[in-house]
Amino acid sequence: MGSRQAAVKAGWKQAKPLISVSDRDCRTRALQLYKAWYRAFPEILRIQDLPVNLKQCREKLREEFHKNKNVTDLRVKDLLIVKGQQELQEFSKFWSQKSHMMMRFKETHNPQPQDFLSKFFSGHK
Amino acid sequence: MLRLPFSRGLPCVRVVWSAAVRGTASNPAPEKIEVFVDDKSVLVDPGTTVLQAAAMVGVEIPRFCYHERLSVAGNCRMCLVEVEKSPKPVAACAMPVMKGWRIKTNSEMTRRAREGVMEFLLVNHPLDCPICDQGGECDLQDQSMAFGSDRSRFTDIHHSGKRAVEDKDIGPLVKTIMTRCIHCTRCIRFASEVAGVDDLGTTGRGSDMQVGTYIEKMFLSELSGNIIDLCPVGALTSKPYSFTARPWETRKTESIDVLDAVGSNIIVSTRTGEVLRILPRLNEDINEEWLADKARFAYDGLKRQRLMTPMMRNKDGELVVVDWEDALIATASALSHAQPDEIAGIAGGLVDAEALVALKDLLNRLGSENLVTETIFPMEGSGTDFRTNYLANSTIAGIEEADLVLLVGTNPRFEAPLYNSRIRKSYLHNEQNVALLGPKINLTYDYEHLGDSASDLKKLVDGSHPFSAKLKAAKRPLIVLGSQQLARSDGAAILSHVQQLAKKLSSSAEPDWKILNVLHSNASQVAALDLGYKAGTAEIRQKPLKVVYLLGADEGTISPNDLASGGVVIYQGHHGDVGASMADIVLPGAAYTEKQGTYVNTEGRAQQTLVAVTPPGLAREDWKIIRALSELAGYKLPYDTLFEIRDRLDDIAPHLTRHGEVEEASFLDQSVELSKNIASSFDSSPIDVKQKHLEDFFMTDAISRASPTMAKCVQAVLKQKQSKYYEGEV
Amino acid sequence: MALNAACRSSVLKWISSPKLNWKAGAPLASTVGKQSERGYAVDPTKTLEKTSLLHAEEKEVVVTVKEIEDLSPTTGVPEEHVKTRLVKIYSPSKNPMQSGTHNTGHWQMEFDTRERWENPLMGWCSTGDPLSNMSLKFADKEDAIFFCEKNGWRWYIEAPKTKAPKVKSYAHNFAWNKRTRTSTK
Repeated sequence: MGSRQAAVKAGWKQAKPLISVSDRDCRTRALQLYKAWYRAFPEILRIQDLPVNLKQCREKLREEFHKNKNVTDLRVKDLLIVKGQQELQEFSKFWSQKSHMMMRFKETHNPQPQDFLSKFFSGHK
Repeated sequence: MLRLPFSRGLPCVRVVWSAAVRGTASNPAPEKIEVFVDDKSVLVDPGTTVLQAAAMVGVEIPRFCYHERLSVAGNCRMCLVEVEKSPKPVAACAMPVMKGWRIKTNSEMTRRAREGVMEFLLVNHPLDCPICDQGGECDLQDQSMAFGSDRSRFTDIHHSGKRAVEDKDIGPLVKTIMTRCIHCTRCIRFASEVAGVDDLGTTGRGSDMQVGTYIEKMFLSELSGNIIDLCPVGALTSKPYSFTARPWETRKTESIDVLDAVGSNIIVSTRTGEVLRILPRLNEDINEEWLADKARFAYDGLKRQRLMTPMMRNKDGELVVVDWEDALIATASALSHAQPDEIAGIAGGLVDAEALVALKDLLNRLGSENLVTETIFPMEGSGTDFRTNYLANSTIAGIEEADLVLLVGTNPRFEAPLYNSRIRKSYLHNEQNVALLGPKINLTYDYEHLGDSASDLKKLVDGSHPFSAKLKAAKRPLIVLGSQQLARSDGAAILSHVQQLAKKLSSSAEPDWKILNVLHSNASQVAALDLGYKAGTAEIRQKPLKVVYLLGADEGTISPNDLASGGVVIYQGHHGDVGASMADIVLPGAAYTEKQGTYVNTEGRAQQTLVAVTPPGLAREDWKIIRALSELAGYKLPYDTLFEIRDRLDDIAPHLTRHGEVEEASFLDQSVELSKNIASSFDSSPIDVKQKHLEDFFMTDAISRASPTMAKCVQAVLKQKQSKYYEGEV
Repeated sequence: MALNAACRSSVLKWISSPKLNWKAGAPLASTVGKQSERGYAVDPTKTLEKTSLLHAEEKEVVVTVKEIEDLSPTTGVPEEHVKTRLVKIYSPSKNPMQSGTHNTGHWQMEFDTRERWENPLMGWCSTGDPLSNMSLKFADKEDAIFFCEKNGWRWYIEAPKTKAPKVKSYAHNFAWNKRTRTSTK
């Protein structure tokens, strides 16, 4: 990958914000979104017939938030928050359905092999 | 067809132009002249054709007969354009521009000229596009859409019909449908100029004109497939590819050919995980736009004789299918039960640098240094320590600058056809002279034969040979040493004499001009030597070997008899060939179209192949097999991904990851110094080359040996030799 | 940037939608946990009231961000296809079967090839690789690099091969003292 070196310099630029103007601002919004989801789950569970309980939902919520813990770009974080808000609305209005929620729990998901040897034995990857 | 004499007014330009060809430094650069193409001004060298001037401002003039790498024929007339104040349109491909010309490529006159030419062409062209293999990539199709008339005046169909021409049989590679021919003569010019086989020509005139061989014979050349690309219509198509696919259905992967040491750039067309054809890809430094027949047509060998699953020999001595775990565990245990010095790795000719470095790392971790290539290179003197010793230092494109080429014990025509076509090109256009020390062979150009005695090298070095004077007079001499000669018992003496000769000539040659070239015969040798493999199996055969790891080694340089009793032969590779048949454990690897691997060509240029299709069955990419094995053997190699193994390559030899670039070497002085003490006695046996005739060219490695098309080619050549029209060596 | 702009406009539209109770300019306030009259939790979207800095008079506000923002968490591309894929950025070569040079001269990105096979029912080409057909064209390579960097893909550049200019002369065919004199016709 010789041509890759130093072709891109990670500089900084001025850009229009999506919503937040500072990391602190963004953090408040993220926490707010988390709380909103946390509090919305009883209602979501009430209106939808989901084979999971409140505790599992809230664990999943925590997990989904933690997935993005390494995101540092302010505007990307904003975008994730907006997407989270949209999704929350979809679930609380019952626009999203059971399968959409259960997709998050990956019950039918076959975990892919992660280490080199199992990947090697399992096929072309 | 439309053959108008128009060459009369040219001679004044020729003089200037031929000076530009030679590029002599003494002449000042000729003054540029200004012309206008569609009112866009462009400054060009005198002698530039109208077509080239138009190309400089991005105007592409339609053409059929004109091809950049062939001589100008000027017979299709499709490139007619209007020039202001000229009463008639001019043929852009042949007409040099004059000062102040205003060329109109889109005027009424130009458009009418094109329309007229197109109408004439189509009068005798069959309307069989739906069943024509050229459909979708046909110049005639495209240009008739763009420049042809929107209605037909052809009404003669009930009377005499369209012209029909009998198809010719010109061999197993090129299919001819001669009715489609528009007489552009590109194939004729290619055959006589590039391939150097004057077999094709025209007979008859007017509407009776035919392109063919006159007497029935095959077009036997190692470059014959290129006339398929050149043909602007569907008259010459690929026989193995016929009726297989349309161009828009296939995916194109830009890759590298590994069937010789030149490393031609190719495009692999695939559909549904199958290689359908291989085409050349432009690279001025290597293959220009051409491709040798073996590289182009041996792809059907990728589907036959493949190793699809791991196999192990059972107690009855038969290879039985096992799964990867069993095969790798058995291999790992064989490796761990042997003493370090009882393990050897032998690399074959089609192996990528990633696999080479993985095997070297694994064996080194096990404590073994027995890593060799199959192909021999003398290890005396500086051996492979200096890259200068084993590279074609002048590069392939550099041949064109040479004024004298001395070939020593090589037949580049069949060992590296595109290397040879460069020499032929320079022979034709740059008045280059060639001499050969070796057997008398047909190189497609005239050369001075210096005999086949190896001891003549001594005379050349001390200057007593009759040819020495010419060598000394040459400003840019070039010596090409065939790698086969290095396998002789006096290989070291030959190499050291060639080095000394090169050193001696460097005093009379231009400064910084590189003289020494080693022409390799396989694609992996340079990378293996770069990575520190030793060359040749003779040394390790003396050792009490218990485990031999053959990495694609199919030349049979080692046999199970060379192993101590109870020894294990492990073969990793993609074809069931010599190596697999004697192996106890077979690990199926990937062929060059199935892996992203680095190869270094004979001039030291690292290039990479790309994955066009995935390996068949349970076969895996080669370095991954070794990486998996290392983990099971308890010596886990520290790379899991291609990026990581490339980083490792970068650590050892950084040029291996600089794809597309030549890494030069210039240690000739030092290596000559070190090779002075080599015994300089020559064998009495004459210098010989393995591939003397065309039939020796086609099947040389595991892939081409498995290819039915290549087998047909050999048969065709042998059949041609029986023909009463056969005139001798082709 | 196109993607960013698209996201931006959709966000703007969404933010300005009256249904969502965005209170432009209002202080950050968490109005949460209010029980509705019917006894269950409020419409959760009500809890999202906050400052919108994109209010008309505040449009000039800028933030400092990285030159290349990593969009991969927002694109929905599975992590596996971000981390393990290699993008080739190249300028496609001309079709050797034809004289024309159309469809060349631009830059293109393509992913490494994964397994493809023939569909046993229809004979069509199948693949399990969602990025198999994603081949994007760009005007220049910097755009392609920027796009890959933004999406977190590893990439490499394949340098385009250019043609060397050649000397052409019809007269060479008839030169009496050169080897270019043509014999066959």
